[in-house]
Amino acid sequence: MPGMLTSNFTQKLLLFFETNARKKVIQKGEFLTREGDIERNLYLVESGAVRMFYLSEFDEHIIRFGYEGSLINSLSSFISEKPSEFFIEAIRKTTVKEISKADLVKLRNESDENLRQYIELLESLVTQQIDREIDLLITSPTQRLKRVLDRSPNLFQHIPLKYIASYLRMKPETLSRIRNS
Amino acid sequence: MKVKQGILIEELLHITDKAKATAVSFKELSEKELNAKKDPAQWSILECLEHLNLYGDFYLPEMEKQLLRGENINKDAVFKSGIIGNYFANLMKVDNGKMKKMKSPKDKDPANSKLSVLVIDRFLKQADKLKQLLNLGRTVDLSKTKVSISLTKLIKLRLGDTFRFYVYHIERHLLQAQKNVKPGQNEEQSRLHEPMRRIG
Repeated sequence: MPGMLTSNFTQKLLLFFETNARKKVIQKGEFLTREGDIERNLYLVESGAVRMFYLSEFDEHIIRFGYEGSLINSLSSFISEKPSEFFIEAIRKTTVKEISKADLVKLRNESDENLRQYIELLESLVTQQIDREIDLLITSPTQRLKRVLDRSPNLFQHIPLKYIASYLRMKPETLSRIRNS
Repeated sequence: MKVKQGILIEELLHITDKAKATAVSFKELSEKELNAKKDPAQWSILECLEHLNLYGDFYLPEMEKQLLRGENINKDAVFKSGIIGNYFANLMKVDNGKMKKMKSPKDKDPANSKLSVLVIDRFLKQADKLKQLLNLGRTVDLSKTKVSISLTKLIKLRLGDTFRFYVYHIERHLLQAQKNVKPGQNEEQSRLHEPMRRIG
């Protein structure tokens, strides 16, 4: 999710993306990562939007979005080098910059300061995950929406309502109704 | 129709495995090919699979629910078909590549919905779920345990017949889907058609 730390490491990372990353354009419906792939890249979304979801027998459960300025990848696969359990799909034409795990590891190991700030970045991610866990325990749809908007105020500008509804685990009609109330 | 439970389940697992293999082979095709149809009244590969997915959305949870409540029994116990259940199962059967023509209920009609290749992935997940349920079913009384049909809760079939009907239905639509594949493509597939020793 956007809302990153403006630490030096993040800035260095963005600079690295600027100078060294490979550009990739994918059309709506194309995948950055599919379930079963091993995630080897970290993506920075330049334009467009993607959704990350888990496919069960019955549904596509969206767990995360990436839009302009987001860093995104199938993180558990990236870390463990085991097959991804998630799909990352473009919901409209999207341009990303990608760097490899090797690039990231090199950057983070470059200095003690980089390593320290990388840890801070991870800590922030972990906290976001816990927030998300709480999201899912909350029964009130209004409250669920509020929590997500507090974290990402511009969500509706980037992502169609039906996908946000899936992320919030409610019907699109319910989400419409809450927004209009 | 009477058959030992263990043997029935083996047959159904075998058909399911073949269906999975066919679906996996479809992943080699382009999105265009997956959406193509030989004539407008027919269903494309993705439409066939999505139709099956829609049935799975109802039947898999239903079958699982009843399975978990069912009485235990030995796998050599004999399953006896019910009259209605046997009728439905036979309706679905594929015999030497021939099928009876039938209309589908409206809510299970996938035509005109926008379909992506994820339909195949979802089908494969449902197939794995089905296999899990079939395996559990070996030692559950398939004659006494009843499952509603999707059309109405008022009609319940024996679980053994539901399994048969459900698996033959999958076989039927995969055969239909395969007709959309051009000859010469995926040559493996023609061997998957060999008529199986049929029980009952």
